[in-house]
Amino acid sequence: MKEHSDLTAALATATPTTANTVTSAWRLKQFKEKAIEYLLATFTVMSAILIFFIMYFVIRRAVPVFQANGIGFILRGGWDTQFMTSWQAPADQPSWIFGALPLVMGTIYTTVGALLIAVPLGLGCAIFLVELCPPWLRVPLTTTVRLLAAIPSVIYGLVGLIVVVPVIAHTLITNQMAMNMINIAALDGTSILASMIVLSIMIGPIFIALSSDALRAVPRSYKEAAFALGISQWRTILKVMLPVARKGIIAGAILATGRAIGEAIALSMVSGGVANLPDFQHGLVFFLEPVRTLASAIVNNSEGMIVSTCESALFACATLLLLSSVALSVMATWVSGMVRKGVRSHV
Amino acid sequence: MFKRHWLAYAALWCSGLITMLICLGIVLFLVVKGAHAISWQFLFTDPLPSMNEALSGGILTPLIGTVLLTTLGIVCALPWAGATAIYLAEYAGENQFVNALRTGIDVLAGVPTIVFAIFGLAVFTLPQMAMFSTIVEGVDNAQAFGRSFLVAAITMAAMVLPFVIKSIEEAIRSVPPSYKEASYALGASKWNTISCVILPAARAGIITGVILGIGRIAGDTAIIWLCLGGSMNMGGQQPWWMPQHWVSTLRHTGSTLTSYVYFSSPAGEGNSPGKAFGAGLVLVVFILLLNAVVSYLGRFTAIKEDQ
Repeated sequence: MKEHSDLTAALATATPTTANTVTSAWRLKQFKEKAIEYLLATFTVMSAILIFFIMYFVIRRAVPVFQANGIGFILRGGWDTQFMTSWQAPADQPSWIFGALPLVMGTIYTTVGALLIAVPLGLGCAIFLVELCPPWLRVPLTTTVRLLAAIPSVIYGLVGLIVVVPVIAHTLITNQMAMNMINIAALDGTSILASMIVLSIMIGPIFIALSSDALRAVPRSYKEAAFALGISQWRTILKVMLPVARKGIIAGAILATGRAIGEAIALSMVSGGVANLPDFQHGLVFFLEPVRTLASAIVNNSEGMIVSTCESALFACATLLLLSSVALSVMATWVSGMVRKGVRSHV
Repeated sequence: MFKRHWLAYAALWCSGLITMLICLGIVLFLVVKGAHAISWQFLFTDPLPSMNEALSGGILTPLIGTVLLTTLGIVCALPWAGATAIYLAEYAGENQFVNALRTGIDVLAGVPTIVFAIFGLAVFTLPQMAMFSTIVEGVDNAQAFGRSFLVAAITMAAMVLPFVIKSIEEAIRSVPPSYKEASYALGASKWNTISCVILPAARAGIITGVILGIGRIAGDTAIIWLCLGGSMNMGGQQPWWMPQHWVSTLRHTGSTLTSYVYFSSPAGEGNSPGKAFGAGLVLVVFILLLNAVVSYLGRFTAIKEDQ
């Protein structure tokens, strides 16, 4: 009896303390769990707002040039002479006038040109990969496409400069043509055409990867239904596969565009580096004229950074690039978001 | 049927084969042009400032610069990307706020590297950031120089962040849910489950993400050109390899294989294409090896999932 009461007393004294330690250990553990969650959330929010951080720092330095030129910054030409003027201007009379029209048009021409080559070729390659490729060729083909995506841009620039540019200079440009253009720009092979070729090889892999994903995501039943109706493979590809995968392919093309407008190094090597505004009235010589893009201007003119006017002008170029790449990314997410919804409702 | 569409089929075959031929052509061209430049002497001497190709030295400092910069960059990026990926895969639910965060990261993936480069320059030329590079002396508005290994590494980390986040998140998501359930059933807390069960199980995928990040850092030129400077040798106190000069080396300019290729190409000032092809070949072999490791790891995980 006595032993029993001792035990009860012991239990009575012991239980609350054990309970207390359990609760506090549990609380500590809960606190640790919460702390880790908040720490991870902080890192996530930091990664997500980095884009606003970038916008703030880039746009802040571009503001003086935008204030001085307004919309004229993208509607006026004469970048090279203005840049030299600002570079040589005395410190008390800075020259804020810049017109980046040749750079903007150079970016648009090279990007559109690269898409004109890369989209048909890449789409053909994606269809070949998904529908026609014999099994023994599949691994080599996917490996080479992945490899093309992994080769650094400076290598493309180097090969373009050593191979593509001389070929254009020797086969397409005649002395007569160069003489006619001597007052406008020197035709030495570095040109829109060379940029188009190099850029299309660079953006090809990303487009092939995304559009072959889109084609693979077409439900098998669609293809089987088409075959059951006796439709040939080619018509199935053309009338069933491509329309269903359309949005994924468009999203791929948009992302490839984003890659093309931002390419700096390879284009600064093969595009000629002259802020020349090519004219359609020159006929096919248009493709042989040198240009300079917004991105390659930042690389080629980077020595100008020590003069505040030139620096601000380069930041203005970066702002244009940044805003257009953000717009393209949002557009691609929007289009592929519709794809995801579409596929879900179809299946 | 086949006869009527032979032209279309021929076009599809051609586009597939052309893509392969372009890739093989570029790699073969690099090998043919670059192989004769490569020798032990080329790999283990410093670049020398000479317009004469025979006297312009080797690629020792660019090679070390690439290794140093990729290491620093990935060390900066990995904890940050890992934390974000764990949060997105395990803690974040499906709501508007999380969607906004994901969009922010997606948009970051589309920003051109040249914009990252000029952003890095804008941040690290602030006088408060002088500890990462050097102070420009003799200028009235004291600015930091904003070009150094540390600056380039941090900018590179920001550049690869979205890609590393994506692949780590995918790796975490591909861990079978039964692992997690078993761990919870044993009474393990959420963080213990993540750190002791999920992350080890996702190891191969995480390494793949890291290697992808390394490949991107090693292959980028725009950030190097603006944030590391165009000098060929290490800019800090000499000799740069002495331990007491390491901090100075990190705070000064240098070069990597990509900036060496750009500098030595006809577009740069060095103008020794033979050396450029040699360095380019070394760079591409480095990236090929990284890709081989990635596909080996991918095969390894695929085998594991089959069992």
